[in-house]
Amino acid sequence: MILLIAEHGRGELNRATWETVAAAQLLAKRLGGLPIKIVVPGGSDPVAQELAAAGVGDVVTLANPALEPYTPDGYVIALATAMASLSPQFVVVPHTYQARDFMPALAARLNKPLITDVTALAGSADAPSFLRPMFQGKLAAEVRPDGDPPYFVTFQIGAFRADQVQRGSSPANVSTVEVAVDRSAIRQTPEAPFQEAQRAVDLSQAPRIVAVGRGIKSQEHLPLAESLAKALAAELAASRPICDSGWLPMERQIGSSGQTVAPKLYLALGISGAIQHLVGMKGSRTIVAINKDPDAPIFEVADYGIVGDLFEIVPAIVTELQK
Amino acid sequence: MQRETLDVDVLIVGGGPAGLSAALRLAQLQKQHGGAQVSIAVLEKARDAGAHELSGAVLDPSTLAELIPDFRQRGAPLATEVHSDRVYFLTTKHSLPFPIIPPPLRNHGNYIISLNAFVRWLAAQAESEGIDIFTGFAGQDLLIEGDRVVGVRTGDRGIDKRGDQKPTFEPGVDIRAKVTVLCDGVRGNLTKELLRRYQLGRGREPEQFAIGIKELWEVPRDRIESGTVMHSMGYPLRHDEFGGGFLYAMPEGRLSVGFVVGLDYKDPLFDPHVAFNRFKRHPLVARLLDGGQMVRYGAKALPEGGWNTVPQPYTAGALIAGDAGGFLNSMRLKGIHLAMRTGMLAAETAFEAVRSNDTSAAGLASYTDKLDRSAVKTELYPVRNVHQAFGYGLFAGLTFAGLNLLTGGRWPKRLNGVAGYERMQTLRSYYGDATSADILASNPASPSQSASFPVDRRLTFDKLTNVHYSGTAHDENQPPHLLVHTEVCESICGPEYGHPCTRFCPANVYEIVHEAGRPRLQINASNCVHCKTCDIMDPYAVITWVPPEGGQGPQYNGM
Repeated sequence: MILLIAEHGRGELNRATWETVAAAQLLAKRLGGLPIKIVVPGGSDPVAQELAAAGVGDVVTLANPALEPYTPDGYVIALATAMASLSPQFVVVPHTYQARDFMPALAARLNKPLITDVTALAGSADAPSFLRPMFQGKLAAEVRPDGDPPYFVTFQIGAFRADQVQRGSSPANVSTVEVAVDRSAIRQTPEAPFQEAQRAVDLSQAPRIVAVGRGIKSQEHLPLAESLAKALAAELAASRPICDSGWLPMERQIGSSGQTVAPKLYLALGISGAIQHLVGMKGSRTIVAINKDPDAPIFEVADYGIVGDLFEIVPAIVTELQK
Repeated sequence: MQRETLDVDVLIVGGGPAGLSAALRLAQLQKQHGGAQVSIAVLEKARDAGAHELSGAVLDPSTLAELIPDFRQRGAPLATEVHSDRVYFLTTKHSLPFPIIPPPLRNHGNYIISLNAFVRWLAAQAESEGIDIFTGFAGQDLLIEGDRVVGVRTGDRGIDKRGDQKPTFEPGVDIRAKVTVLCDGVRGNLTKELLRRYQLGRGREPEQFAIGIKELWEVPRDRIESGTVMHSMGYPLRHDEFGGGFLYAMPEGRLSVGFVVGLDYKDPLFDPHVAFNRFKRHPLVARLLDGGQMVRYGAKALPEGGWNTVPQPYTAGALIAGDAGGFLNSMRLKGIHLAMRTGMLAAETAFEAVRSNDTSAAGLASYTDKLDRSAVKTELYPVRNVHQAFGYGLFAGLTFAGLNLLTGGRWPKRLNGVAGYERMQTLRSYYGDATSADILASNPASPSQSASFPVDRRLTFDKLTNVHYSGTAHDENQPPHLLVHTEVCESICGPEYGHPCTRFCPANVYEIVHEAGRPRLQINASNCVHCKTCDIMDPYAVITWVPPEGGQGPQYNGM
């Protein structure tokens, strides 16, 4: 059985849980159709109902007042107890801040393997394995758990798609299990959660990026880059001068003072390639640069370089892509 | 708003050679004299001790030997002893070695060091004496009550660019002290405020500054012998520009290459970074660097005015030491040992004042007597006029320096100087007729020899690339730390001087962008390497440098 720990806070389900449902279903299929059970620590009724409605597997809420609000010690105690009675083969969670907080402690408490930040599944039905990034995404390591189950696995946010969850035809069972949690064993006193202003776009997750630089000349020309981004289903990003001028929001800036990205395809339009920009994108799988200046440093990192006028080349590419 | 306060006896602002020597000296005095503990705190704006320390550097170990006699056993990071001195006069293509090394440039017995490593070591010595060094905290404002300095307020953290509080907001701390020792470096923001408020520079010569730009290189090991010190005069500077280049060879092919330019040049289109690039492309330097790799970059201003420009270094509750007070010997190109010495003397003054419970101006005035009786005056007084003599041009300066040497500095008259930024001439007066001035003003990539130089990205780099190698980093979402009266830029400074800030800044902080045909000054504050040149050199004195959020700025590892 695959046990999925749902993440919730203030009565709401963390959406990343759905991605983990999708991952758990793929894992179950790979292992020849293992059942999935979802556990909701701290028993929030609306969360349990929402998960049950999807009909992906039985939902068990672990009830104890000490589980609300979240503390790592409370979760570890409650879940360690639950593991003993449920004896799952895999325990899966989204790789959230909360998971990073309690999962290592839980795995260590039970002395079981923990594989974190998994991006893909691999291996065979008898010997399943998991891919996880190493060296800031430059390598993907294939990791196989060793020893006796349960095996703990966390899935990278964005690696699996929530919209690919196979929903059941009928709602699943919801049951409540009382767990004993010794309050005196909880060493943390949580304060009210605080949140930094959220980033609206996370370019680090984009598989394709079209980035514009000074060569775009004026804000009126941005739709040209947007049309290319749309044709490629890519995110639009920019080098610093563009964001400094306010033509694109700061959150779309790539480089040492912006985001670091490593997409499969990086298309640089009119970007000269100042080192501050290069450090933010040189890990991209394939780099295509279009620039008028053949001596522009961007060509030193580009896999494909086009020396020419982006105002001629980009429309031609868009036309080709739309064919 | 509720601010935390911390009370100490002596607060030292700035954890460089002066500040850390002051702290160590205080700890020593405490041990010698016993009695009630004098509490000490050191503030340092860099994230780690030494991260903002930049110098050539050749260290005269005389002060170190007094402060820490067993410095060798304690593993002071002195990269190598100097065993060869060379001085060259450069022309466009050639280099003429000086047949004899002028005595001020003889470095026998001195050491080539990384000031960054040296200060990290000094900080470790201070910490082992139980001294608290608060790294990542900048002194933002002086705390003043009545007519005395009572401490320093550190900068707030977590303020966004509009001045509103972010969720991470933390108000600055008021550190109250009986004596505040300002060691905030060349053109320190607090010292600047103190000098202005109490007119401590009254009756003194105007301060003089230079900018030093430096790169650390790794070159093939057999290229130049470790322990070699080279200095140059002449090219690429013209006779009315003060300065020169330096090359210091350390073990394992590490080479410091730098260029110093007096911030009193007349040509508004002059760019110190261009001069540095030209120096590196001179055959003498290029053959040493060729095939090597630049690993770090940085810049800092230097106080070059000498003895006659040192302000009154004390006021009620405060003392000034190190570069902040202008204690640097520009003839020997050395200031670290003087910073350490003045830090120690300030510590002695502060210790006596705290013990005798008199930290008034009168109680601290003995600092001046201590300086007068010390090696600081012995070294600086004889050369008090030399920098000012260079105001009359290179050859007049050299002649004067030679005469000064022969006479042991006996010269009846005080040579007057003017503040360097006032010497900068307008485009029209420097370049003559109106048309060429207009052409230059409208064309930032001007034809002037000193304003632009193509870079090859091997030996020479553009400023933006160099800035990357300074490791500087600032949160973008914070109030600007360069306060500029921008209305002057477009209407007056552009037409008259052609935006010299875009050239004297070695870190590409100032950029003119043309929007709808109008020039607008864009301030890339996050590029700043804290060199203070803009605060010093802008011709209208409309730029004020204040500390950004603590812990930000360059990372001068190995510099």
